[in-house]
Amino acid sequence: MKRLLALGLAFGLVVAGCGGAGLPGGGGGLKVGMVTDIGQLEDKSFNEFSWKGVQDGASAVGGSAKNIVTKDIADYKQNIQSFVDQKYDIIVTVGFLIGTDTLAAAKANPSIQFFGIDQFICVAKDASDKECKGDVPANYQGLIFNEAQAGYLAGIVAGTITKSNKIGAVGGRSDVPPVVSYIKGYENAAKTVKPGVQVLINYVEDFNAPDKGEASAKTMIGQGADVIFQVAGLTGAGALRAACNAKIWGIGVDVDQYLSLPDSKACIVTSAEKHLQNAARDAIKRFKDKGKQTGNYVNDATNGGVGASPIRNLNPVPAGLEDKLKQATADMASGKLKPVP
Amino acid sequence: MIRLRGVARRIWRVASIPLLAIALAFVVAAVVIVVSSAFTSTGFDLFLPIGAYSSLLAGAFGSGNGITNTLVAAAPLIFGGLAVGLGFKGGLFNIGVAGQFLVGAFAAAVVGSALAGAPTAVGATLAMFAGALGGAAFGFIPGFLKARTGAHEVVTTIMLNNAAVLLLTWAVNDLVRAPGFSFPRTGDIGNSALPILLGRNLHLGIPLAVATAFAVRWLLDRTTIGFEIRTVGQNPNAARYAGMRPVVMTALTMTLSGLLGGVAGAIQMLGVIGFYAPGITASVGFDSIAVALLGRSDPIGILFAAVLFGAFRAGAPLMQIETSVPIEVIDIIQALVILFLAADLIVRRVFRLRAAKAGITELKTVTQSWAGGAGPAAGQGS
Repeated sequence: MKRLLALGLAFGLVVAGCGGAGLPGGGGGLKVGMVTDIGQLEDKSFNEFSWKGVQDGASAVGGSAKNIVTKDIADYKQNIQSFVDQKYDIIVTVGFLIGTDTLAAAKANPSIQFFGIDQFICVAKDASDKECKGDVPANYQGLIFNEAQAGYLAGIVAGTITKSNKIGAVGGRSDVPPVVSYIKGYENAAKTVKPGVQVLINYVEDFNAPDKGEASAKTMIGQGADVIFQVAGLTGAGALRAACNAKIWGIGVDVDQYLSLPDSKACIVTSAEKHLQNAARDAIKRFKDKGKQTGNYVNDATNGGVGASPIRNLNPVPAGLEDKLKQATADMASGKLKPVP
Repeated sequence: MIRLRGVARRIWRVASIPLLAIALAFVVAAVVIVVSSAFTSTGFDLFLPIGAYSSLLAGAFGSGNGITNTLVAAAPLIFGGLAVGLGFKGGLFNIGVAGQFLVGAFAAAVVGSALAGAPTAVGATLAMFAGALGGAAFGFIPGFLKARTGAHEVVTTIMLNNAAVLLLTWAVNDLVRAPGFSFPRTGDIGNSALPILLGRNLHLGIPLAVATAFAVRWLLDRTTIGFEIRTVGQNPNAARYAGMRPVVMTALTMTLSGLLGGVAGAIQMLGVIGFYAPGITASVGFDSIAVALLGRSDPIGILFAAVLFGAFRAGAPLMQIETSVPIEVIDIIQALVILFLAADLIVRRVFRLRAAKAGITELKTVTQSWAGGAGPAAGQGS
């Protein structure tokens, strides 16, 4: 009898599961779905700020937003397809790794608008084409960022706060153009703000080796550098750790790493930031106002797409630093200032 | 009728604890969903679990696509579960499926992309073999170490998981990086992809997985090797006394286990992912351990357990879309299932079952392993 009861309980649960219909999606308006990069939603990094932007964008156009968090690379296709099956109007995907699947989904579903955050869309015209001359689907837009401008702002900070007149930058790979742009902008700004400053640059040629990043940063610190800018993913996390251990300043990249890398928050002054939230929000608004979006859309100083994260840990903030950043942003927006001439 | 009852009783005897553990996990996770709902924008919702579970069910089984998604997600888990289960039968705890999976996926991706232009029959077959071979090689290492030196497979396989990630990251960066992409990855597998049999994505790997489950069962129950694997697993000393060679069997079991783990990676690569890039996560590796435990190391039990775990993954997107319940709830349910399996006393208390007639022996392997039970080479019994 008791066993029967137990069975009943188990089956009751299953039946309850079969019962109730799914809750309806949000009211009218555009339905915006976001598929995250691998990890979690509240990552204080790409997923979290992209999602904030998608929510902002959806509410700005009177629509609704939902997300699916990806836990495994094998789930990308299915997660995108789930939004397609639910007849979503806009699907936003996060990170370069999901780009291949996003491109395929965009080709298969021309009536749905796709946005790829941090995805440079490259469609080859034929097998010999190495310069992306092919046509991007009319319903797929990559949201990319002007890294040189963000790097320039980081360079202003570094040039202003260095006391030893030596600053460093640790790069992931020298054959990845965004990394080089960040560092070029950084170097040029530092030399403009403080003529005669020496910029030590090292490309570790690896994005996933914190120990190499740490070693590289230590070498620079040994040579007298007192600010280290990292553009090297996990390798860079090692570089920031070295900076913290040596009690000098570190500068983060892509997102506000003061928030995303709590281990190094004590020494991060600022980060060369891609404003993911703005980029995602504005993309949704563009679609609402102008219809289908295609190609690669550059987020830069003109549209608030890049910037320097809030200055942290400096007390007081050096006189005029905030003004210099504002001025440089305005000048880059107007075209007067070219971060990489 | 009486026979039917006998069969039902027999099934109940093996499956009661796992089934009740699953039921209990859903109930406890429901409490978590209700409590956590109070901290979201939607506010406290007592009926949220019903909505969430029905979306989960609808996503996994509510449509043809849902069912194929469930099976597609289950396929690598079947192979992975068989890998861990086979190890359990041989008295070994293979935590290295994550690494063997990655090596298998990588090998399949490299061979598959090299043969992207060749006919599918050639490309897919050779890529599968490459994956199997890679996994087997990566399983052989801890097997050999255990057999030769007594190095505990739990320790070596965990370390080899990390070694696999780093080794493959280096290989993709510096050896087989495909041109034309902004990040390191292998080329497209093209024609080497497993043929789609049905609907959007039901690929050849699924019938292959089911067939393999029966093959492994046959191997264990009907062959001399299987008998030796099981005997060595239960008592290496008795096995040696009976003229078997526990050292050889240990290395062989780990190699076979690694082979299955490698095939799990290969079918996932050739059936779903399509390219290898650093950052690929092998959640399959660790879920496989749970699948093997839930399936009680029995190949047929593993089939059912893998379909359940596949259903979680296939249903999760709809659950997130319709109810905004985070996907982490799935992790919680899976973890609770294992918790209740390990602490089956809780299940028996809650459901007032009498003492289990058949203990879960594979859990004994786990505890033995963690306690540092000596390997056969050390010549000690347990």
